[in-house]
Amino acid sequence: MGVTKEDVEAAITSALSPSHLVVTDTSGGCGASYEIEVVSEKFEGKRLLERHRMVNTALAPHMAEIHAVSIKKALTPAQAQPQPEPAADKPQA
Amino acid sequence: MASTAASLRLPSPPLSAPAAAASFSSATTLRFPLRRRGAARPLAVAAFKKLSEASPVPIPPESAQPPLDEEALPPKPGVYGVYDAAGELQFVGISRNVRASVEGHRRKVPADLCASVKVSVADEETPDRAVLTNAWKSWMEEHIESTGKAPPGNVAGNNTWVGAPQRPPDLRLTPGRHVQLTVPLEQLIDRLVKENKVVAFIKGSRSAPQCGFSQRVVGILEAHGVDFVTVDVLDEEHNHGLRETLKTYSNWPTFPQLFVGGELVGGCDIISSMAEKGELSALFQK
Repeated sequence: MGVTKEDVEAAITSALSPSHLVVTDTSGGCGASYEIEVVSEKFEGKRLLERHRMVNTALAPHMAEIHAVSIKKALTPAQAQPQPEPAADKPQA
Repeated sequence: MASTAASLRLPSPPLSAPAAAASFSSATTLRFPLRRRGAARPLAVAAFKKLSEASPVPIPPESAQPPLDEEALPPKPGVYGVYDAAGELQFVGISRNVRASVEGHRRKVPADLCASVKVSVADEETPDRAVLTNAWKSWMEEHIESTGKAPPGNVAGNNTWVGAPQRPPDLRLTPGRHVQLTVPLEQLIDRLVKENKVVAFIKGSRSAPQCGFSQRVVGILEAHGVDFVTVDVLDEEHNHGLRETLKTYSNWPTFPQLFVGGELVGGCDIISSMAEKGELSALFQK
């Protein structure tokens, strides 16, 4: 039995304690494939390459069974917050 | 009209060496005041016949092997236009040796597209490139003005007359699997990424990537006009062991992997993200 979506979720949760995690199974004929969106405080102060490495490290035990991993988002909670709309210009009195 | 002409592809004639070009420029500077001061541009264009004034010269099929007419097609610099069997202008080019260029087209282009040619050669033996370019523009504008369209061979994307630029070959770590390495593979990888500014380790070759992620990265780099080299990690003959060794070297488990300035930038997701945010250009300018 190969790696499952639940395995991926569990591995990332254990390593990164994400506040938000979406794992999408995109497997096709080539083998197990997943798209991942992670929001974690542990990404604070880390550049994108390091964040991706952290996710890869979390999945290392399963990597041999995974055909492809696509990390679509690796954000801090602050970055994941919706940005406020810019205030409209008030007409002059 | 100028904007239309400017959007067309111009074949690049071989350029003179810098020293020779400088010498020629000096000669040109000295020569023009002795003729008509301030008339360089009109004189240069006027030195060439109009397209409509040039007489067509038949191009015998290569299979017949008759030599091209020496007098009508001299080995001199100039502008030329190639016509198909129906008399339609197919391509306008410039060359330092018109005869050689037409001979080359005769060998490579289907005979029905390369039936006759009009030529106008320069007065000087080594005209400035701008002189030839102006002659080309003049012929193109004349044709477009009379027909409303450009010769098909000069439209961007048509590689019948001027072949697509050849892609650099993929780099190989070893001459072959039979060769015993005298240095560790890690050292070869390290040397490779430090001697080349941008290196993409991909699955498959640059011209035929074997996975969508590798294809995407190659596409992004080419779209940004990046000068980069590729290494096929699936080439077991010349890059045996690279696939696993590189994972350890880069601490990155998947492919493609892009290195810039000797450092790993990331895989497909990171490169795609940087491209979307407009961050790639700055990366390659460092």
